[in-house]
Amino acid sequence: MTEVSARTTAEVESQPIALVDLLDRLLGTGVVLAGDITISLAGVDLVEVRLHALITSVRADMAEQR
Amino acid sequence: MSDTGRYLYAIARGIGGEDLAGIRGLRDVPLRLIEHHGLTAVVSEVDLEEFGEAGLRRNLEDLGWLEEVARTHNEVVHAVATKAPTAPLRLATIYRDDDGVRARLEQWHDALQQTLSRVEGCMEWSVKAFTAARTEPSPAPESTGGGAGTAYLMRRKAETAQREVAAEEAAALADEIHAVISQQVVASRRLPPQDRRLAHYEGTMTLNGAYLVDDTAVDDFRSAVQQLSAQHPDSRLDLQGPWPPYSFTTLDDT
Repeated sequence: MTEVSARTTAEVESQPIALVDLLDRLLGTGVVLAGDITISLAGVDLVEVRLHALITSVRADMAEQR
Repeated sequence: MSDTGRYLYAIARGIGGEDLAGIRGLRDVPLRLIEHHGLTAVVSEVDLEEFGEAGLRRNLEDLGWLEEVARTHNEVVHAVATKAPTAPLRLATIYRDDDGVRARLEQWHDALQQTLSRVEGCMEWSVKAFTAARTEPSPAPESTGGGAGTAYLMRRKAETAQREVAAEEAAALADEIHAVISQQVVASRRLPPQDRRLAHYEGTMTLNGAYLVDDTAVDDFRSAVQQLSAQHPDSRLDLQGPWPPYSFTTLDDT
């Protein structure tokens, strides 16, 4: 019989969270303001870091590291 | 001493300090709760040298920094979400002072209350579907003189058509799996498939689904996913969770 290398669901659940899964949610979802990370000082939104630019640079870094 | 700001992790309803005993914020700073009209913001103080405008611009490009902050953020949000209905904030939401946080709670009050009611008693689960890669290299054309070039081109064309059909079938199967799971849950959402270089998977990710599941229905949900997995041996399904309800607390335009 051939060994099946696919992971079962049970195994995946107990694995540590991958950074990519984390960033999917911490950058892509959650309570958001207009699709960008917003840094608010004194309730006034002063800085908007363009999310897509950020993710692009993160992905480039991550790809290089592996 | 340098300026400090308030890093906002999550907004919850009905949470007390005792619920978060033993949980520390970024840089091991204690968490604080800011109450406003029935909503509770979970914050900790951060140094604005590190988390202010200039600091964030610099640090968000540092992958090690980003990972550390993301993991701590998630730990705090997760701890809150296991105790009370929770709306997680996106990474790096920072206010100058408590009044800034209160102003935001005031501004978002009604939408947040509705959102918290929707996710109460639920957590988010992730189901990803993968199909095997279909990238068998075509054998080199046989050198049998006339007609070999044409035969090669025709074979290539047939292979391309086959791959297209396979991709369509995989997409249709992902749609079906998502539809079946969606019937079992409170809410569902599809996130974009992840980049293969980052997520390190074999084949093609055809589904990156997020599902809001009632805590009392988790066993049924898990069984449904396992049943789907058994019905579709050509696809691999990865189940992961529970997550705080990140994908189901997005507020409309504020």
